[in-house]
Amino acid sequence: MNTNAEIRGTEYEVLSPWADADPVPLRGITPRPADLAGKKVGLFSNRKRAALLTLGAVERELLERFPTAQTSWYECSTINTPEMLTEGKAKFEAWVASVDAVVLSVAD
Amino acid sequence: MTDGRSAASNKGMPLVRIVTDQVPCECNVKEDADAGIRAAMPDIIEALTKPLSAEEQAPKKKDRGTPSRIAFKGQMDEFDRFFYKRGWGDGLPLRPPTEAAVREMLTGTDLPPEHVVGKIVPRNGKASVEKIAVNAVMAGALPTHMPILIACAEALADPRAHLGAYGTSTGSWMPFWIVNGPVRNDARVNCGSGAMSPGDIANAAIGRTMGLIVKNVGGARKAIEDMGVYGNPGKYSCVAGENEEMSPWEPLHVEQGLARDESAVTLFFPNCYSQIWQYGSDDKGILATLIYNLPPGRSGLTCLLMTPTQAKTLAQKGWTKPMIRKYVYEYGRVPAYRHPSFHDGGGWTGRNPETIPPNAMDSAAIVPSPDHIRILVLGGPGAFMGLACGGGLPGGQFVTKKINLPSGWSKLVAKYKSLVPAYERY
Repeated sequence: MNTNAEIRGTEYEVLSPWADADPVPLRGITPRPADLAGKKVGLFSNRKRAALLTLGAVERELLERFPTAQTSWYECSTINTPEMLTEGKAKFEAWVASVDAVVLSVAD
Repeated sequence: MTDGRSAASNKGMPLVRIVTDQVPCECNVKEDADAGIRAAMPDIIEALTKPLSAEEQAPKKKDRGTPSRIAFKGQMDEFDRFFYKRGWGDGLPLRPPTEAAVREMLTGTDLPPEHVVGKIVPRNGKASVEKIAVNAVMAGALPTHMPILIACAEALADPRAHLGAYGTSTGSWMPFWIVNGPVRNDARVNCGSGAMSPGDIANAAIGRTMGLIVKNVGGARKAIEDMGVYGNPGKYSCVAGENEEMSPWEPLHVEQGLARDESAVTLFFPNCYSQIWQYGSDDKGILATLIYNLPPGRSGLTCLLMTPTQAKTLAQKGWTKPMIRKYVYEYGRVPAYRHPSFHDGGGWTGRNPETIPPNAMDSAAIVPSPDHIRILVLGGPGAFMGLACGGGLPGGQFVTKKINLPSGWSKLVAKYKSLVPAYERY
């Protein structure tokens, strides 16, 4: 409770409600291939309906522009959860290692 | 875009390349998706092939300095505006969390101020006892609410509650807090007439505090990380106690594994709370009200709200809570064409095949299992029932946490005992 003196006083000194958080180590993004010709592009779906449609469109456009490219699909194992925190972690890591680039679609 | 950038930063990759396209994120029209992606393709290809900048290769941490424990010095009206502009408020006036006010709030716990109750997603902010107390002061809570708030913070930090999804989802899910045990009466959590309405400090301030904690500790800010499409007034506060004294059944926290004389808070995330005029005051009418009003577009954790009178009517006819759960699961059905599973999962893909009905007129259960259902006895006299219907994330549960009371609890309760409204007759 605020004391009467505090309420009457001219100045409040108040504590911050914003919490500390442990610093997250920063990482750079993966180096890019110079060209997608002959490369394998991963298509990661967040398992919502529009992700399939948009990634399907991305796949068609990519293969039209880069006929020698390949695609590889991955659908997250648990909706709304980072894949690295799920039982799909090992499978996901192997998939990431198998592709040259990834397009992730965040849909609803 | 903002939530994508924020999510990437929280995972340590602030410079992930994000391409915004012109396809609505919920689109299921192929022509629209094709056109939007075609227009965005040059940007997508550039994002996939453009050499990395030096910063993209090795992002540098922005030095924001050490956050100050003291956030503000100044006049009352300046304080409110300052906090609001920093994004630390909820739109209503705040009480200033002065050192003295926070110290008094801390009389509601034996835990030291620096004790971290849990980390709250998405930012993984540390819910220290002091930060809980600061936000509690801002929300107008009392020290007798602190034990409840600490248990609430534990529940938020429990991964089974899925705050990371529900707290930021487009579905605008609201945390529904159910308080059980002796603490209800000590802290004056309303479980009678109008329990869910404004007017009781506990019901109002506990929920409000937790809303501020979601924002200020968890870092889920509206339209930045919290992408709720419509939002939800329940995010201000949705707190109720169970009317255990008037219920014929075991209270919720006992069903959840605690002893009757213990106190507890239970959390789940519905995105609606509807009230339905009962179809009849006998057991058949009461149960029909429930099974015929379940919304098929939700299909998740479901809380059935009934008055003590309705509960007693059912109990007198031999109905137990487990029987009601089984009945509502079994007969809360719609023709498959009204069920989201029949429509490509209602937005989800990759649903388990056994949940997809083959024919439009097949009968489809709305709630996935009896265990997705809980029953809450509360409210005053009247012919209405309630349904609070939540999401169906795999592994999601009603999360119950025991409330630990501090030493000297009786004295603390006595100190605030007289703080009740005395309505005058007119």
